Amino acid sequence: MESATLRINNISGHLTTSGVRGGGQCPFSQKSTAPLACPEKAWSVINTSPHAKPNPIRVLVTGAAGQIAYSLVFMIASGQMFGPYQPVVLHLLDIPKMQEVLNGVVMELNDGAFPLLAGTVATTDVKTAFMGIQVCLMVGAFPRGPGMQRSDLLKMNANIFKEQGAALAKYAARGVKVLVVGNPANTNAYIACLAAKADLPSTNFSALTRLDQNRAVSMIAERVGVPVAKVKNVSIWGNHSLTQVPDVTNAVIQDFPEKGLTTPVLTAVNDNKWLEESFIPQVQNRGAAVIAARKLSSAASAANAIVGHMRDWVLGTKDGETVSMAVVSDGSYNIPKGLVFSFPVQCRAGEWSIVQGLKITPFIQLKLDATTKELQSEIDALPK
Amino acid sequence: MFKSASSLLVKSGVRNYSTTKAPLRVAITGASGQIGYQLLFRIASGEMLGKDQPIILQCLELPQALNALKGVSMELDDCAFPLLKGIVQTDDPNRAFAGADYALLVGAKPRSKGMERGQLLEANAQIFSAQGKALNNNANRDTLRVLVVGNPANTNALIAARNAPNIDPKRFTAMTRLDHNRGLAQLADKTGCGVTDIQKFCIWGNHSATQYPDITHTTIKGSPIKNYVDDAVWVKDNFIPTVQQRGAAIINARGASSAASAASAAIDHMRDWTFGTNGQWQSMGVYSDGSYGADKGLYFSFPVICKNGNYEIVQGLQLDAFSKDRFDVTRKELLSEMDAIKHLL
Repeated sequence: MESATLRINNISGHLTTSGVRGGGQCPFSQKSTAPLACPEKAWSVINTSPHAKPNPIRVLVTGAAGQIAYSLVFMIASGQMFGPYQPVVLHLLDIPKMQEVLNGVVMELNDGAFPLLAGTVATTDVKTAFMGIQVCLMVGAFPRGPGMQRSDLLKMNANIFKEQGAALAKYAARGVKVLVVGNPANTNAYIACLAAKADLPSTNFSALTRLDQNRAVSMIAERVGVPVAKVKNVSIWGNHSLTQVPDVTNAVIQDFPEKGLTTPVLTAVNDNKWLEESFIPQVQNRGAAVIAARKLSSAASAANAIVGHMRDWVLGTKDGETVSMAVVSDGSYNIPKGLVFSFPVQCRAGEWSIVQGLKITPFIQLKLDATTKELQSEIDALPK
Repeated sequence: MFKSASSLLVKSGVRNYSTTKAPLRVAITGASGQIGYQLLFRIASGEMLGKDQPIILQCLELPQALNALKGVSMELDDCAFPLLKGIVQTDDPNRAFAGADYALLVGAKPRSKGMERGQLLEANAQIFSAQGKALNNNANRDTLRVLVVGNPANTNALIAARNAPNIDPKRFTAMTRLDHNRGLAQLADKTGCGVTDIQKFCIWGNHSATQYPDITHTTIKGSPIKNYVDDAVWVKDNFIPTVQQRGAAIINARGASSAASAASAAIDHMRDWTFGTNGQWQSMGVYSDGSYGADKGLYFSFPVICKNGNYEIVQGLQLDAFSKDRFDVTRKELLSEMDAIKHLL
């Protein structure tokens, strides 16, 4: 592991590359932005005061010239991820083929005249992209082409995420919070985490199942006829794939059937057959349903889920409420240690923790076993 | 320390979704298009009208686009937005504008190959006269704010307003906020300052290649821009054309037109109109009362200040010779556009 001094020099050294907008007078220019004082503490508290002059947070989006990023980066620049008082520097990485498009994205971000956007670093170079970042949104991945086997897909992505995991270890702030979106998300997160093992705690890594959770919440709300904001603690377990487990065993509906009362979802829905045979498959297959309707995959709702996942991670979940995040298993609920597995979690002080002691029905247990098996087989299929 | 961060955000309204406000109805045309896709999700998340304001989205599309609209609606559901209380999907303007408090008229007929400008104006005149009538008959006339984005925006706003005799023409506006934001970005880049340091910048005239981005009153951190950049040649040959032609530059780079930044500008426009600009100038294409010699009744972009839910044209500004010249060019273009569709009014 590099010494702290070397890491500081690496991080502040990056500030001389072009990218942060403007010259000497911009408040966020390289000349006036103090180098991060201590990389371990470089994960700055999100500023919530309208009066402070906070340092910007550096957020990397990979696959930055793509569809999801096009919705995502504007949501971030407008303050949806970290709130209205926290400026952001956006690092944008894509492959050389997409350089022109990436330039166009930067032009549009500038044309947004966002008060919270302190600068952009658009690059096709991994070192530049990862230097000094505190949040890493790994949207880019190798897409499945026609005729491509699943094992080929796993292999192509293993290379990408191994390289990027190493880059995180070498260049990012030690407290960097990583969210993997590009599929296969859980296994890609596993690979990145492994590559960074010597330098970064495994608790820094996560994969996105928030989209699945939002979809599940919306379907329950529609079924029962309540506002979505009243449906709480729906959980997604396992792999972000067709074996994911949408689980309402511990979910509740607030102010139902009247204000002040809380009713378990199981009671409110009162139809196990619908839950097991309709609800679960609908959530699992929603991605395909959106593609069928739009003729394009779900970019904006994915972007929205990314914003929600990271916002809750850094700003905290409300008391008593859980969200779904795929994180490195510590053995909770007998899920093998080390797998990147979606659990119900709570977030506080910038950390997530798996909610313990939840009821697991035999029906759900079978599904947990199946998704665990699938994740295990994805890891086994990785090139050694 | 982090716990207090959460509670501070609840107080500031960022994390507080419990609200007793009645929903506002926001109508969007061309809702399944590129700009619509960028717009709908950011509106539904509370960016335009506030984190405590529930909304109902009323989406209008052509019949052939209703399937695509269904897909967008599915994605909106998949966001589980606490503030989104309903989605209307329709090809009937009367349904789309029923009770509308806000109308963003994004959809318009694009220019096809070989199409003459006059034909484009006429084709859009059909669309916007129908929408003007539908707004007149169905929208909430006491609260309505209309923003026309679809081009030619200024003239389309004029057509819609003329077909809505029971609605105050001041409730119709055309978008030049995108040009305004683009101008700020160029100035920030040139001077090395943040966009929030720049004041008293404005766009005059038509949202077209004749628009006049005017920095003759602009200040940076309170002092005249001449102290940062004093280069008339740069202004004339670089800054102004860059802002005017930015749309084409984006198309060249992205291979697609500027949907996200246009959506962003639309949100900024409606949000500032509603909540005020805190004494600062913004640019809006508005019903001209004859100020500065812009013919009465034209929809012309002026510097405005928004306050108490209204906008007011900034008065008493001196226009130098160069500015008067540019002003006149864009004014004449708007007159000729109006002339081309006069027979339909």
